[in-house]
Order: sequence, then structure tokens, then C-alpha cells
Amino acid sequence: MSVDILQKIQETEFFKELSDEALAAVAAKAEVCKYQVGDVMMRKGDPADSFFVILEGHLKIVTTDAKGDEIIINKVGPGESIGELALVDERPRSAGVVALDEVEALELTKDAFFELLNQRLDVSLGILRGFSNRLRFSTTYIEKVIDWSQKTAEGDYSFLDLTQPLNNRAGSDDDKAAQLLSAFYSMVSKVKAREETLKQELERLTFEIDQERRKKEFDEITGSEFYTKLKEQAKALRQKRASDQ
Amino acid sequence: MAGKIVSIHSFRGGTGKSNTTANLASQVAMTGKRVGVVDTDIQSPGIHVLFGLDEHKMGKTLNDFLHGKASIREVGFPVGENTGEGEGRSQLAGKNLFLFPSSINGKDISQILHEGIDFNKLNEGLQTAITEFNLDYLFIDTHPGLNEETLLSIATSDILIIILRPDNQDLQGTAVTVDVARSLDVPNLFLMVNKALPKYNFAEIKKDIEAQFQAPVTSVLPLSFDMAENASKDLFSLRYPDHEWSKALRNIVPYILNAK
Repeated sequence: MSVDILQKIQETEFFKELSDEALAAVAAKAEVCKYQVGDVMMRKGDPADSFFVILEGHLKIVTTDAKGDEIIINKVGPGESIGELALVDERPRSAGVVALDEVEALELTKDAFFELLNQRLDVSLGILRGFSNRLRFSTTYIEKVIDWSQKTAEGDYSFLDLTQPLNNRAGSDDDKAAQLLSAFYSMVSKVKAREETLKQELERLTFEIDQERRKKEFDEITGSEFYTKLKEQAKALRQKRASDQ
Repeated sequence: MAGKIVSIHSFRGGTGKSNTTANLASQVAMTGKRVGVVDTDIQSPGIHVLFGLDEHKMGKTLNDFLHGKASIREVGFPVGENTGEGEGRSQLAGKNLFLFPSSINGKDISQILHEGIDFNKLNEGLQTAITEFNLDYLFIDTHPGLNEETLLSIATSDILIIILRPDNQDLQGTAVTVDVARSLDVPNLFLMVNKALPKYNFAEIKKDIEAQFQAPVTSVLPLSFDMAENASKDLFSLRYPDHEWSKALRNIVPYILNAK
């Protein structure tokens, strides 16, 4: 197996915790498979007898709806792995996987995988470390979402200002938790904006004039002798000005 | 055509009346019209500051005229020839804008408050100012409220602009002023809303107040910290022409120029 492929394996989420030596042991047991556009990598319901790490190209993960039409659940690309959980929990394939372009993937059979785990503690530990990193990573994000949910429920949006919006990156499963957080952030931002617009509409000023008081004050001013005289003078003044023009 | 008297009034103090008057008069003068500004707020004169006039430069005042000690000709201060350093104010150089200031001397103020104003004399002064200075518009900055001197300026005005803040207390007082102005047959009555909080919908405020008074609201001007900070130093709308407050203020100019 070439150095190029070894490097690609190390770049995958699943194997990134492995030492060079452990990596070489994995590579020795694995096989590089190639798929053309439309090739089926696995079918729904097949027994889970191997798992794949994508080196090149993209695949769609599909299932069928009640009518039998294809539904694309997800798309995967280089660095992502497929089927590793099924290998551990021994359940049949939950979805089909079909190549979207030319795909190069590393296949590790169930037997080879367990043999490797059995023989090499460093590989086992490396893979375990990878799993626990992902779990920790996801947990951090989930805790954040819980915290934000509680704050949002109480109408406290201060976290929006304290947090930089996350980039909605497509990528490995690890990033899915980040995507959830990002989607949550964007959702709360929109909720807050809608709430503010609504508040502004509700805050429309209401004007009220006490008509009784208005009349009373008007009568007081206009009832004076001064006012009567002023009104006459003003009238005369306007008439004079009108005739001057 | 005889010059028009434009009274700027507000029922309560603090509406930004003097500032609006000074800026509006300046904007009208900028269009080439001959403009006068009379400070009839004899109790608390202040508009002279905006035109860069201080007690050293202040010559004869409206008080001198009312006491028969000076002619209106002597009281008129040509702002366009004394604009000074102000960045906004200096744009008035060469414009025909005349200020008729009230005395800021404490003795003069208490004397006139004690003796009262001779209304016929004040009215004669206003008319003389228009003819002697060949004015197109004479702006009167009045004292807030509805005292006798204010009623006189309302009675003689061709255009009355009532400034109010968008709150119920100002609205109540404005309602009475509007009724009085209608009773005195003021030909042109406009309302101007100042110091509106930017969070409100200005178009709604305008619509609501117009509906309350059946009179046009020329514009709704925002409450502005920039304005509050710079207002007393210079003519804000000339210095910061692109500011929201300045733009809204300039909206009033056509109402004045087109009034019959």
C-alpha cells in the first residue's frame, strides 16, 4: 500500500488517533475498492460484514419511502467512514449506499477488523480514543444546545451576542453536532428578530386627549377680556393685510 | 407681497423650539429668502446663542425697542455679515438673515416682566421689521405655554408651527393651542413632532397625530444625542446636513414656502 493511501487513512476521523505503526497494520489488512457512478456499495438489510473509509469521491446514503421511492438521507465524502457502528453492534445495514462519482474506498472486513483489535492493543486503543473524542465533542455541543434552549425558553438571548456564529460546515459526523448548534443559533436569532418586530408593533404609541380638560382650558383662555380684544385686533389686522395686497 | 409671520410655538418647554426655529429660519434663508428671527421669549432668551451672538456683540435689543429707546432698524442684527467661525453658521455668509434679540441682561428682563409688554408696540415692531428689512418671512420664537405675549404672536401669525413631543402631556397642551389658533383664524397651521424615540414607527406617529388634530404634521424628528451634544454650539442642520434630524427638518421648508 502506497504512502499516499496511508496518509489518506490517517486523515480519516476513524483512524486519526492511530500511530504510524498501527496504521500500517490496518492498511495491511485493508483493501482499496473502486466504484463507478451508480455502483452500489451496500444495500439496506445486507449483513454488516465490513466497513469502509472513503478516500476519494462521494456517495449518497439512501432509503426508500412507503411508495418505494428513493430518499437521500445524507451524502458522504473523503475522510468519512461508513458502517463502522453496524460492525460493532452487529445489526444489518440500515440504509443503502450508492456512488455519486468515481469513488475510492478502503474496505476492512469484519473478520480482519476484529482480528486487528484482538492482536493489537494500540489499534484498539486508537479506535476507542477516536470514538470517545467524537462522543466528548458531540456532548460539548449538546450541552451547549441544552443551555441555549433553557435560556431561550426564559427569553434570555444574551448568548447570541456572546457567541460567534458557527460556520455550517459539511463534513464528518463530528461536525453534525456542530451543525446542530449552528442551526440552533440561527433559529434563535430569527426567533429573536421576529419577537422584536412584534414588540415594536405592540409598542406603538397610543395618544389620548382628555377632551373635557381641553374644552375647559380653551374656555378659560378665550373667556378673558384680553382675548376678546385680541381676536378683534387679529381680525382687523388680517383684513388690513388682505386689503394691502 | 407682504412678508409672512411664522410663529414657532410649543405648549411645554424642552421641545427643541429655539433650535428648530433657528435651523428652520436658516434653511429658509439658504433658499435666498429674506428672513428675520424675533426672540419674543423675553423671560428666557436663548436663540441668539445659535446665531453666534454673545453679550459683547449684542447691541440694541427688542427690550430697547419696547421701551422706546431704539428703533427696530437698530435692533436687527445681520447674521449673514457676522457668521463667525461655526462650520454650519458660516454657510449663512452673505444670506439675508436678521436676528432681533431679547436682552439677556437680568435687569432688563426683570424690568419687562414687571412692566409687562405693550402688545401694540410689539405688533408694530413686527410689522416694521417686515417692511424695514423687506422680509419674506419673520420667524417668532415664543415662550412656551399660552400667556398673553404668545397669544399675540399666534394672533398675528400667517403660519403657526406647533412643536410637540410624542407624549400625551404635550398632546393635551397642543390640543388647546390648536383650538386657540383656529379660533384666531390662523391661516396655516402645522404640527412638528420632535424628539421621537427611534424605536417607534414615525409614519404611524405622523398618521395618529394628524388624525387627532386634523392638521398636517410636517415631519417627525428623532430624538438625537448628536443633536443634544452639538445643538447649542452651531446650526446643526447646516453643519450636519446628512443627519436624520437635519433631513427631517428640511422637510418643513416647502410647507413654509408654499403657504398662502
